Amino acid sequence: MKKNIAIVEDEPALRENYAAALARHGYAVKAYGNRHLAMQAFRVRLPDLAIIDISLEDEAEGGFDLCRDLRASSAELPIIFLTARDSELDAVSGLRLGADDFLTKDVSLPHLAARVAALFRRIDALKRPDNAAEIIRRGALMIDGDKMQTTWNAVAVTLSLTEFWIVYALARNPGHVKNRQQLMDAANVVLDDNTITSHIKRVRRKFLEIDPAFDAIQTVYGMGYRWVE
Amino acid sequence: MSIRLQLLVVALTTLVLPWAGCQYARELEAALRGSQEQSLLASAGTIANALSAQPQRVFRNSDLRSFDARGGDLYVHPLTNQPLLDGYREDWGIPWEPTVLPTLNGYRARLQAGSTERYLYLYAEVDDSHFDPEPNDAERGPADRGPADPDKDRFDRVNIWLQAADGSNAAYFFGTTAPGLTAAQRTAQDAGTAQTDDDSPRVLTEPRIQAYWLQTAQGYHWEARIPLSFVAGRLWLEVRDGNGKGSAGSTPTANADGGRLFFATDGLDGLLSTFIRDGTRATVIDTNALALGSAGNVSTLPVGASEDTRSSWYGALLDIDASNLPTLTATGGKLGGNSVHTALSGEPRAEWVRSEEGQMLLTAAAPIIVDHVARGAVLLEQNAEQMLQLRDRAFTRLFDLTLTATATAVVVMLLFAAWMTFRIGRLRNAADAAVGSDGSIRLAMPESRSRDEIGALARGFERLLARLNEHTQYLRTLGGKLSHELRTPLTIVRSSLDNLESQGLQEDQRSYITRAREGTQRLQTILTSLGAAARVEESIKQAERVSFDLRELIASTVAAYRDGFPHSSFALQLPDDPCFLRGAPDLIAQLLDKLIENAVDFCPPAGSISISLAREPGHYALTVSNDGPRIPAEVLQHLFESLYEHRNGRDDKPHFGLGLYIVRLVAEFHGGSARAANRDDGGGAVFTVTLPMI
Repeated sequence: MKKNIAIVEDEPALRENYAAALARHGYAVKAYGNRHLAMQAFRVRLPDLAIIDISLEDEAEGGFDLCRDLRASSAELPIIFLTARDSELDAVSGLRLGADDFLTKDVSLPHLAARVAALFRRIDALKRPDNAAEIIRRGALMIDGDKMQTTWNAVAVTLSLTEFWIVYALARNPGHVKNRQQLMDAANVVLDDNTITSHIKRVRRKFLEIDPAFDAIQTVYGMGYRWVE
Repeated sequence: MSIRLQLLVVALTTLVLPWAGCQYARELEAALRGSQEQSLLASAGTIANALSAQPQRVFRNSDLRSFDARGGDLYVHPLTNQPLLDGYREDWGIPWEPTVLPTLNGYRARLQAGSTERYLYLYAEVDDSHFDPEPNDAERGPADRGPADPDKDRFDRVNIWLQAADGSNAAYFFGTTAPGLTAAQRTAQDAGTAQTDDDSPRVLTEPRIQAYWLQTAQGYHWEARIPLSFVAGRLWLEVRDGNGKGSAGSTPTANADGGRLFFATDGLDGLLSTFIRDGTRATVIDTNALALGSAGNVSTLPVGASEDTRSSWYGALLDIDASNLPTLTATGGKLGGNSVHTALSGEPRAEWVRSEEGQMLLTAAAPIIVDHVARGAVLLEQNAEQMLQLRDRAFTRLFDLTLTATATAVVVMLLFAAWMTFRIGRLRNAADAAVGSDGSIRLAMPESRSRDEIGALARGFERLLARLNEHTQYLRTLGGKLSHELRTPLTIVRSSLDNLESQGLQEDQRSYITRAREGTQRLQTILTSLGAAARVEESIKQAERVSFDLRELIASTVAAYRDGFPHSSFALQLPDDPCFLRGAPDLIAQLLDKLIENAVDFCPPAGSISISLAREPGHYALTVSNDGPRIPAEVLQHLFESLYEHRNGRDDKPHFGLGLYIVRLVAEFHGGSARAANRDDGGGAVFTVTLPMI
């Protein structure tokens, strides 16, 4: 059965392009031009995954409102922000509202499709019984590569998809310095240095919320970051 | 011209105050003088009118005789005291105003006459180098014994002729054997006694007419006293040298109409004194300007009293000078001066003159009109020194006051100018500094709360700067906005290319797609750079500060660069002790990244990049220098600006000069600064970042 993906994007050409690309990858895509049309449809039936632009027609933050409403309707529904807005603030706001990933429109269609697939994989993995999962354990850290789940001291750390890939890349080879480019490649995103830095900062903060003594991610100035045990 | 100078010039216009005061004082003085003239003229007129009502008390002679000094006419000064017969005229008590006796042969003699109630006095000074005494009996032969005979004997003598009331003339002569008292002598023939008897003396002595003969170096003085009873109308006087060569004076034979005596009028002094006030002298003159009577004194102030004020320095400024005034003159009892002449011609006249003592006098003369004819005039003299002093005092006061006012005005204006200049200067400095070298704008202006025009100017500046600031902000965010706005269409193109690619294209089509993709890739890089500045600023704002060791950070970073840039050589110089800094290590590392990237880009392959950290008072100095080319001076000041680009195009990668801008932002975030310079040895550029210690 085809997965239903909803795209809420006010730019028709872009909307069609995304829809076509995702349809090519075997998804059932519904595209909406504004928040009202989208909410109308979502009230009838929730999609399996939603890709939302932040500014929708005349609502500058319509995407945030939509995300909030969707998250209220379903806690599990995967939501991806796909936006031209690339500020740190927007990213933080979006992720705080419960989005699973925050992508800028620099992302290529194949990358987008890969992200979508990864998210579905995580959802599927969560639904599957625990079996033969790819588990990485590094001290207090435990990463379930299938379910894309991370725990620290057995407490779940809610990472966005990008953040998950970063932690995954670092923790898989502890002690190895990963430079920014490697982290970007791992996360399948095109980001500039500052965005990587702010991602790392956010990841650290999320671990610190669980364990104030967390300092496993170390900055190697001039080179990148590494995971220390 | 500075405002200070301009206001000084304006202030100098207050010098018109002293000038105006001076003009005013002059007018005042003129008015004062005028009124004084008028009052004195009025007094003179009053006296003249009173006198013209009783001409018999004023004029002894009813005819209008013309005084003829050459004809032997003589003015008889009224004497108030009885002089001693001693050959000196000093006891006469009147000024020496002699009549020079007419002469034909250079024999010189001067004569002055005076009279008391009973006597007529004559005083003559004769220049005679050789004294010829009257011969005495011892020197003569027996035949000539007896008094000297004026017809035969030769001796210096004074001849006088007195006209009697009946018109007959009595001739007398004076001679002396030795200086001293002598009596008049006359020949018997002249006395009218018949020469019937040979024994009768030929020369008679008249003891009632006496004279004193005083010999001097120049000649002799002759002072004679004649009872008024001998004097009826005319008197001739002749001085004759003993050797017969010289003579001066007049004789009845030569001048039958001359020899008149002009007396002052008896009782006129007393009459005049009833008219005049203190400090005024009144003189009545006849048509010949001879004084008939006078009363009163011109009060003379001590000369020194007015000297101080008179010599004030502004005297020259005012051009008040008494020295050009005519001097009061009197010769032989004849008064001079314009006022006298005018009055005698029938018109009253006032005039300022100078007395012989050099003091200023005001004279006023009014004619005494009898039967429509000016028979004489009244001359009033008054001392003007008092008024002068008053004027001087007023001028002094005026000058002091106006000069003080002017000086005060100048000082006040200068202070005001200094204050204005200070305010304007402050505003100008603020305006100069309003736009920083980095384009930052300081909006607050001094003086903007002032309510005057300078305040308005300051507020104008503030509005201007606010508008400029808005515009600058707009320009600054333009890049970010553009990158944002362009991103969507770019994404459309790229996603379309993605879709197109997945359609299974032919080989030649695929190459076009690849080219289009490369183009969009470059566009995307540019847009990312454009928006990067805003993102950097944002991330710097959110950076958290921790305390860390700068030395360790630099050491590890440089170690990483050695790996990262294997073709460049790095020289590192660090202090021995840890250098603790409170800040964001991520940002400092980023700052280093940018500095090193920049250095690597510019450093030639064989060159080296040296990095050093040093402690300086209050801060750390981090320098990165390279062996690259020198940076032109006009580029140096823009190096740290956002999106400034100066490159020689070593690669085709687009650069937007964000690197050094980030360096500056990070340095400023830490309270430090960043600057670039060319190395002193000319070998390249050196970038210095200062970071304050904790």
